[in-house]
Amino acid sequence: MKERIIALMEEVFQVPEGMVTENTTMDDLEEWDSLAHVMLIGELEEQLGIEIDLDEAAEITTVREILEKAGAI
Amino acid sequence: MSLTKIAVLSNVNMNFVIRLLKKEYEVYESEGYGNELGVLMNPQSSYHGFGPQVTFLLMDLMEVVEHQLVVADGATVAIDRWFTMLESCLKPEGIYYVSDAYLWGPEIPVLSDPGRKQALEAVWQKRLQDLCSHHTNVYILPYRHMVEQMGEENAFSLKTWYLGKILHTNEAQKRLSALICEKVEVQGRTAKKVLLLDLDNTLWGGLAGEADHTPIVLSEDHSGLAYKNLQRVILQMQKQGVILGIVSKNNEEDAMEILRSHPHQVLRPECFAVYRINWQPKHENIVDIAQELNLGLDSFVFWDDNPTERELVSSMLPQVTVPDFPDKPEELAPAMAKIYRKFFEKAAVTKEDLDKTKQYADNARRNQLQARVENFEEYLKQLAIVVTKEDPAANIVRLVQLVNKTNQFNLTTKRFDQAQMQEVLEDQHRKVFLYRVEDCFGDNGIVAAGIVECKEKRGDAGKEAVKEAFIEELVMSCRVMGKNIEYAIVEDMENALQAEGCQLVKACFLPTAKNKPVETLYEKLGYTVIEKRRDGSKIYEIDLAKRPERVYYVTMR
Repeated sequence: MKERIIALMEEVFQVPEGMVTENTTMDDLEEWDSLAHVMLIGELEEQLGIEIDLDEAAEITTVREILEKAGAI
Repeated sequence: MSLTKIAVLSNVNMNFVIRLLKKEYEVYESEGYGNELGVLMNPQSSYHGFGPQVTFLLMDLMEVVEHQLVVADGATVAIDRWFTMLESCLKPEGIYYVSDAYLWGPEIPVLSDPGRKQALEAVWQKRLQDLCSHHTNVYILPYRHMVEQMGEENAFSLKTWYLGKILHTNEAQKRLSALICEKVEVQGRTAKKVLLLDLDNTLWGGLAGEADHTPIVLSEDHSGLAYKNLQRVILQMQKQGVILGIVSKNNEEDAMEILRSHPHQVLRPECFAVYRINWQPKHENIVDIAQELNLGLDSFVFWDDNPTERELVSSMLPQVTVPDFPDKPEELAPAMAKIYRKFFEKAAVTKEDLDKTKQYADNARRNQLQARVENFEEYLKQLAIVVTKEDPAANIVRLVQLVNKTNQFNLTTKRFDQAQMQEVLEDQHRKVFLYRVEDCFGDNGIVAAGIVECKEKRGDAGKEAVKEAFIEELVMSCRVMGKNIEYAIVEDMENALQAEGCQLVKACFLPTAKNKPVETLYEKLGYTVIEKRRDGSKIYEIDLAKRPERVYYVTMR
């Protein structure tokens, strides 16, 4: 699941494979802006069935947090 | 014309749609959302600085009416205000798509009277349709249909709405982006005109002519219904102006028997403007049809289940479009709908479009008559052509279409959009002429127009003032060319000018890549060249009192 989530993030941010890792944060990646963030929350739900609570979704800033919420680590 | 610059304006967050569209086009970067009328109205706005060719207004009705769900009060007022403001900032050179209505919001499921949702949507719909009928450059973006196809649950997301005023799910936004691309394509390309169809295993299953042993598959169930539904799609296309033809290898009598009398046949013989049911190679038949209909091969789409036939036609006639054929019967009707949208869909459909099959079928019969009658004059007499004057103001949409779409019989190729044409009609010094042409085979519709500017020229000392006119526009559809109808039309215009005291008429020919057929029209009418320029353009004049006799066989009404 971890790999699928990371691959999905790379797709949403439109960055090359390998750009997103477990340690990536919103500050590291120019493409991870607030709009891309909302798209990501939507894609996680629509593509992988991962639901993140609204308030938590707005607070998340790191890949690690997403993986935790998704129960992937 | 290829369109590359677009704008998407909305009252909800459309940034993701814009981001997707940027892969295809230059897209206006809106500053936020909800100020769609503001950017349109302000001539200094970045929107006008960007200068999009096509502008999409994707509106969420709930935000427009601000959750006031009472039709009589707030909602109607808000919708009226929105459209009135939009109308005031439309530019004649722009192309606009406005979304139709789908009312969605958290309170909709508890409306005790569900009809109110429809009533509110209908208010929007009515205003939108009115807007489109008054402005030929405004079109409807079928947003509603997209939501219906996806279903509310898949199209809208409260979560992304709360997170960033993004109303739609990612999937819906991807579809919106695809819908916008489709419309930009439709605006940028020239629509095809004729759909040529095979019969066996294309319009029905199985083979005609072996009916006693293997009846063809066309019925109310199973794959028979798939073929019937395919025919329903094609019939609707025909009603919207697509010309149909048959190119099929069968015995003509066997095929016609099915077309005429099979109980489940939807497309009857009169739906087809032309057919070649024989054993000739199909590409030869298609060339033949192109001549008969007087259309270029690039106007044709050919559809056949047999890959060998498709391959042969596309290699022999690369200008003809040959789409793929689906493997499964249930894919037939959707595949045809896709062909329609991809190749035939027009930005706007006029009344003339709706009668096209008949006009082209009539034309094909005219050409057959011409082949039979040896003497051209005899042929013209037999046609019994009647030309009727039409009111230009009442037919402005057709007038604008004629002036802008006619390339061959067009003396000056001067284009007018609807707003400019409105000015011409209101100009006291200009006269606009519009003509309908009928003959013994049928009505060709409104096919010719002229615009004349009248001037009073002060005479030299001691002489009287001279009234003269200048023909600034003269166009005629190529469907009615070659029958001397233009002589009757120019003469009618001249007579009208003479009746108003005009003595001298001037005219000009400006050459283009396409208007060679009318290069010497005015010479044939007895006009004198008074100036010839290096680019091939010519200025003419004629003294109305000294016109030669012109030969034509037309009754003017």
